[in-house]
Amino acid sequence: MAKKKSKEDYYLASQWTLMARKLKKHKLAQASFIILAFLYISALFADFLAPYSLDEFDGLYRNSAPTKIYTIFEDEHVGPHVYKLTKTIDKKTFEVALEPDLSEYYKIEWFVHGSKYKILGLVPCDLHLFGVGEGSKGGTGAKVFLFGADSLGRDIFSRVLLGARISLSIPFASAIISFFLGIAIGSVSGYFGGVLDMIIQRIIEVIGAVPQIPLWMALSAAIPAGISTVKMYFYMTIILSFINWTGMARVVRGKFLSLKNEDYVMAARISGVSTWKIIWKHLVPGFMSYLIVSLTLGIPGSIVGETSMSYLGLGIKSPATSWGVLLQEASSVTDVAANPHKLIPIIFVTITVLAFNFLGDGMRDAADPYK
Amino acid sequence: MEENKLIAFFKRDLVQYIIRRVLMFIPTLLLISILVFFVIQLPPGDYVSAHIAALATEGELVDADYAASMRADYGLDLPVWQQYIKWVKDIIWTPTDSAYYRLYHSHHNWKYSFAYGRDVWSVVNDRLGLTIGVTAIIMLFQYLVSIPIAVYASTHQYSAGDYISAIIGFLGTAIPNFILAIVLMYLSYKWTGNANVGLFTQEMLQNGIHLYNFGDFLKRMIIPIVVIGTSGTCGIIRSVRAQMLDEVAKQYTLTARAKGVSEGKIIMKYCFRAAINPTVSGLGGVLSSLFSGSTVTAMVLNMQIQGPVLYKALQSQDMYLAGAIVMIQAVLVVIGVLFSDIALAFLDPRIRYSGGNR
Amino acid sequence: MEKDNILEVKDLHIDIKMMEGTLTPVRGVNFEIKRGETLGLVGESGCGKSITCKSILAINDKKCYPHGEIMFRNEDDSEVDILKMDPKGKEIRNIRGKQISMIFQEPMVAFSPMYTIGNQINECTLLHITKDKKKAKEISMEVMRKVGIANVEKRYNQYPHEFSGGMLQRALIAMALVCNPKLLIADEPTTALDVTIQAQILELMKELQKEFNMAILFITHDLGVVARMCDRVAVMYLGKVVETGDSKTIYANPQHPYTRGLMGSVHKIGGRKDERLFSIEGTVPLAMNLPKQCGFYDRCDARIEGLCDKAEPELVETEPGHKIACFACNNPACQKHRQEVEARLKEEEARGPVEEGGKKRGKR
Repeated sequence: MAKKKSKEDYYLASQWTLMARKLKKHKLAQASFIILAFLYISALFADFLAPYSLDEFDGLYRNSAPTKIYTIFEDEHVGPHVYKLTKTIDKKTFEVALEPDLSEYYKIEWFVHGSKYKILGLVPCDLHLFGVGEGSKGGTGAKVFLFGADSLGRDIFSRVLLGARISLSIPFASAIISFFLGIAIGSVSGYFGGVLDMIIQRIIEVIGAVPQIPLWMALSAAIPAGISTVKMYFYMTIILSFINWTGMARVVRGKFLSLKNEDYVMAARISGVSTWKIIWKHLVPGFMSYLIVSLTLGIPGSIVGETSMSYLGLGIKSPATSWGVLLQEASSVTDVAANPHKLIPIIFVTITVLAFNFLGDGMRDAADPYK
Repeated sequence: MEENKLIAFFKRDLVQYIIRRVLMFIPTLLLISILVFFVIQLPPGDYVSAHIAALATEGELVDADYAASMRADYGLDLPVWQQYIKWVKDIIWTPTDSAYYRLYHSHHNWKYSFAYGRDVWSVVNDRLGLTIGVTAIIMLFQYLVSIPIAVYASTHQYSAGDYISAIIGFLGTAIPNFILAIVLMYLSYKWTGNANVGLFTQEMLQNGIHLYNFGDFLKRMIIPIVVIGTSGTCGIIRSVRAQMLDEVAKQYTLTARAKGVSEGKIIMKYCFRAAINPTVSGLGGVLSSLFSGSTVTAMVLNMQIQGPVLYKALQSQDMYLAGAIVMIQAVLVVIGVLFSDIALAFLDPRIRYSGGNR
Repeated sequence: MEKDNILEVKDLHIDIKMMEGTLTPVRGVNFEIKRGETLGLVGESGCGKSITCKSILAINDKKCYPHGEIMFRNEDDSEVDILKMDPKGKEIRNIRGKQISMIFQEPMVAFSPMYTIGNQINECTLLHITKDKKKAKEISMEVMRKVGIANVEKRYNQYPHEFSGGMLQRALIAMALVCNPKLLIADEPTTALDVTIQAQILELMKELQKEFNMAILFITHDLGVVARMCDRVAVMYLGKVVETGDSKTIYANPQHPYTRGLMGSVHKIGGRKDERLFSIEGTVPLAMNLPKQCGFYDRCDARIEGLCDKAEPELVETEPGHKIACFACNNPACQKHRQEVEARLKEEEARGPVEEGGKKRGKR
């Protein structure tokens, strides 16, 4: 009996339930989803998780490698702590080096007070998840830079977290814009057909023919110099959407062509339902899952686009930061060779792109009713 | 008699298909030019003010008369659509008695690049050959590497080799080009003490490439080939493999086997021949992604191709130059699509028959 | 192997290894084909007839594991076992297309769309008859003419999509006959065609059979076709032959309940108008983990409780050339077999555990 019940459930389940059920079997897609959720949540609370703010720096720590964390101080277990760095000069070669000053230790503490920020842009706060406390002898000024520091002595760890807000949200926002743009244009093209369809198809073809990144770069020329970060953000989102909608429109058009002569659409039309209502109420829900899939698969391209453009200085610019801006630090080989920790942001870009790809692939398999 | 032959020639399906395809090239070209003109118009303020600002940073002040005459010369006082027509007309044919012709002896006026202090076409042309050359080498590499791997993976489905190629394929498509470039450059510097940046050594630029330094040139091509070629290679592997698996499962392989045809011949004569078609039709896309990938990578690796020129043009808002580069690349891609469509018509008898109205 | 026979299939089993377990679509098939005769292999979809035929050419899927014996009389009159050959090897490839050839169900997908019909027919000629391209082309074109393709010079250079379904089937037959094989396997060659074209193709095959003097193994689920084409019939059910004999005998006097059911489900000209067509209840069970009983037990109207669900009947010869596998048939041979099995069952029951019976069966 129970078996029969579950079978019945299966037949009655909506497309979404089925998709979710199939996705549960796709371990890689699931892991990717968890990683992405973790990244997005971290980005949301970046101010709290990051020990330092965007504009905090320490000239002494310029290009310093990731801070070493010790637990034993003079043969005694005192818990995780760091030492302050001091400049030493080699007497023979006159090379400047940074050495930990082992005379005083600084404990790493949870929930320390630091720079001010607003939680989610609303509640003022100055608490950070972790940070360096006072020295054992009352000294100050020690820093904990988990991923090291950049050429200005800023914490790369904090900047990766704070940059994630832009690097993760711009592609997402542009995907949503292209989503609606694609559905609107694609449905017009597929539903009405004729000359309009021909013109839209040619336009899609041409935009598809122009190499993506050069076109993105060229479009970035439209961004006026010296505008606010918010406006910059807005422009970048628009530019990235400019190309991405074409893929979505193509999917929608194809689906429309195959669905518009179905009986239920005909029935709706005969009973006098308006064209737009037919499109939104009857046709679009029928292939929503495919759209979500192509939406997911479109995001990695936008991430690469934003990162590349910001890396080239054509997108997000200082003082705002994104992963692309962070990678500008890694543009000189000799610099990177001396400070390999500057490559750390690469790991985040790659993981995010991979995770979106795996998730999209898993969803595509799940959305396919024949699998 | 001759005339009849000619008529018969034009009546053939294939010829008609090619003619139709070539004719469709024209509206596409027109749309590309509109798109590029739109891009040129994008920056706030007009081209002449950007030019004057650029001159001013070099300490050269321009009087108002000169600015006005320049505006007239570029047609900036006209309505936008007339500006567009003028721009296209100048590119197609500039008469002999124009100021431009007297200066540059060219009938195709692509306007002036103030970032380089020369006419746009000569700047573009400088690196066009090399850009196409490098792209062609990478493309050749892509197909040479990916197709045998794909055939192997499909004939040895679920073998270790199949899995390895799938994993590398996934990484290859997912990792952004320029990031791969940075990492490889770093590794190359770390292991060999030489970042192998730039396509040529100083010595090559002076003496040209000869047999004795060709090895060094090839060495410098390794990172660009790997970086720019990898994502495309992985894409081709994935699609050819899937296509091969589809073909192997088809009924006609069984027919061929029942005839006594050997396994190797079934794979090569029947399956591969059919599987290669979508790959041929994907040529335009591959070309587009190569140009796209090479643009940022070229800047990271300091390659003497068009990417860095585009970058410089955009930084100084030298829009006619930037537009020209985008346009050339788009046109090359469209030509690639055209060629692949025609090649496909030769390869696939079904397309010839239906005239491509799939 | 008897002198007359060119093919003997003995106790053929085919296993398909799958994730869910092992599927056994063929569970001990026996039949033989004599020179020049036509044997019809009849049965519902999924009874294992197609896969049996494919294993005669060893062109089964990789996942299929056939065992048993398929003896074939080779060119030099020697007897070879096809199952012992390497399915990719030279030996079997010399049999395929040259001595045994096959025509398929759907002519539209049996040709590669990439090559001309001529090229694909000629491939066979070049492989097996002559390496001389000019001569080969002549031979191929001659056969194309023979199968009734008009305007061969033009047709030779056309592609499959330029042919109609019936023409493609003719081309497929030409491809199969070009090397003058001793045995032609026809796997439902007319199912995908119109009725009128069907008749033409069947006529053509009959004519060509006479001319080339070859044997045909005709696979079909269409009893009308069998009556028209075949000298002998083998009826298959769930991977086994349940009845075999002269087609005339079987048509006149079908004995096995399944055969009777099949015959009953065919329209008869002159039959009563209000007569309902007979249909066999239920469907063919999945050939996986089958219980130890007659495969037709669940659907049979003559089943004997306590016997048919405990043992599987074997083929016994009821009269020369006519074999039946059923306990319920009312003839001396079947009844004798029934008594033997009943006696054995009783003996086993007396001895105890059922497992032993299973072992004993396995040994057989």
